[in-house]
Amino acid sequence: MLPWLAAAAAVALWLLLLAALAVATRNPDVVPVPPTAELAAHSPAVVDLITGDWRLCDEATSATLLDLAARGAVRIEEIGPELSLVRLRRDPGDLRPYEKLVYDHVRSLAVDGVVATGALAEGSRNLGRWRKSFRKKVIAEARAEGLSRSRWSRAQAVLLTAAAAVPAVAIAVAVTVSDKEHDGGLGAGILAFGALVALMGRLNGERGTRRGAEAAGQWLGVREHLAGTGRFSEQPAASVTIWGRHLAYAAALGLAPRAVTSLPVSVPADDRRAWSDYGGMWHVVDVRYPRRLLWAREPLPMLFYALVAGFFAGFWTWIVLLVLSALDLWPDALVQPGFLAVGAVVAGVPLVYAIMDLTGKAEIQGQIVRLRRFQAGTKGNNDPKYAYWCAIDDGRAREVKAYGISAAMWHPLSEGEKVRARVGRKLGWIDAIEVVERSRLHGTARYDDTGEHRIDAPENLGEVRIFDTGQE
Amino acid sequence: MITLIVVAVVAVLLVLAAISLYNGLVRKRGAVDNAWAQVDVQLKRRHDLIPNLVETVKGYASHERQALEAVVAARSQAVGAQTPREQAAAENALSGALKSLFALAEAYPDLKASRNFSELQEELSDTENRIAYSRQYYNDAVLTYNNAIQTVPANIVAGMTGFAAREYFQAPGDERGSVQVRF
Repeated sequence: MLPWLAAAAAVALWLLLLAALAVATRNPDVVPVPPTAELAAHSPAVVDLITGDWRLCDEATSATLLDLAARGAVRIEEIGPELSLVRLRRDPGDLRPYEKLVYDHVRSLAVDGVVATGALAEGSRNLGRWRKSFRKKVIAEARAEGLSRSRWSRAQAVLLTAAAAVPAVAIAVAVTVSDKEHDGGLGAGILAFGALVALMGRLNGERGTRRGAEAAGQWLGVREHLAGTGRFSEQPAASVTIWGRHLAYAAALGLAPRAVTSLPVSVPADDRRAWSDYGGMWHVVDVRYPRRLLWAREPLPMLFYALVAGFFAGFWTWIVLLVLSALDLWPDALVQPGFLAVGAVVAGVPLVYAIMDLTGKAEIQGQIVRLRRFQAGTKGNNDPKYAYWCAIDDGRAREVKAYGISAAMWHPLSEGEKVRARVGRKLGWIDAIEVVERSRLHGTARYDDTGEHRIDAPENLGEVRIFDTGQE
Repeated sequence: MITLIVVAVVAVLLVLAAISLYNGLVRKRGAVDNAWAQVDVQLKRRHDLIPNLVETVKGYASHERQALEAVVAARSQAVGAQTPREQAAAENALSGALKSLFALAEAYPDLKASRNFSELQEELSDTENRIAYSRQYYNDAVLTYNNAIQTVPANIVAGMTGFAAREYFQAPGDERGSVQVRF
């Protein structure tokens, strides 16, 4: 019992030390200055970081693109209420690393130097890696400007790690003593040490410096000013031509939701609304994934399923009609024709569809706009079963139905590839598919989306308290 | 009495359905008008750039009178066009005249080197691209609207309330597909 009490005490002491250090290293208080129009030299992304509890929001990427537009590296043009374009300029000038990341993403998508704003979510980049890269680059700049720093200093990290060894050893001893075979102590100790170090790492993150808190207070004053003077919430992204960098800062400060949502730089592409550049111009294509009752089905197995479905439908109809006829609610003479008719209809429709698709395939040529797989049940033992979908824009309509495809054919494909496919029009199944032209976005991004990452900066769990000065 | 109520309910449902269809058609027609206004903005922008271009070219190649007059005449035609079909034909002719003018500029190194000229050339190229996108946007709106007024049951409401099919803004043959406007 005593070893366990000692271990519990050691863990409690270590947690106390962690809590004390967490309090000591909490974010400094941010005191907003009175409303001001004075813009400091920080970029919108850095402003997003320091005014958002030293946590970067998705708005930062959109704000960065707006800032690039305000500075003339790109131009945002409104063509219609649902269509705006981002046009690259010839020389973007000197860009910060994270600005270059955004600029390169736009450039990778551009067709003749132009990309529709809605299409900014497209592309073959690994979005998680891209976001992480953006975030780390912004943090690097914030640290270089003295606005942010890692929560644990090197000394604090070493102290906590070394101190974690004490409760780990105590636990190891307790396990060894209480175990009849006297083994398992080492493993328990290692596990405990790992858990404590992981907890310490979890609490690590960015925290503001005194200078950062002052800058954040200044920017909160700007926020008050912008909220009071400009109607930024309804401004489209193209209005950056009028508002300039103010719109970019408004976006970073959470005041321009319309402009931010119209520039989906760091959000995943929509499953049902794709942007395609097939034919040379960006256009939207609505993708439907119909229910798989009579769609996205392979014709050959469908023959079997149709017969089984027809048999069961006929059988249950026969039972029901027998009961009804016994109750004099259905004529005896029509029991047999009744269940045969139901069985024939249930089996007949898919049978006809399957035979039509087996005997005559259509050939379509176009660009893959969506490749998706959705879970369609389990094979047992929690092994998920997937339905694989491939939507092809053939340039004829703005709405396409995604086809079903086998996993083996699906895996090597990429969105953006131009393909020629042999499909069954009735059951919506791709029988064969051939890549005619590789996607220009195929594989990894055509630009360096990682760069140098020497900063370990997980999410900051610290809090920033904002004091209302009461000054307007 | 029951028959009367049934008839009245059916009549009310029909009127509500007709109002809903009518409102839907009005929205789609509004979208077409709006899309055409966007095309118009881009075309006007293009027309406004041409006098500056002509003046710039005159400064370096004043004796290329024929080409300059062709551009001015084509611009006048384009400005005066009324329907999308007329507009498309006039814009096509204007594009042809501009291409000839830019081809002539190749023979005048001073003109080619002029910053004003190269900026106008780039601006016109961008505008052509915007026109192409506006045209696509307009044609998509027209397709949606025309489909709506021709499909059952909206075609009944459309026929009774005077919704007519709209013209597409047809692209000149060589501009279909990829938009690569290079003067």
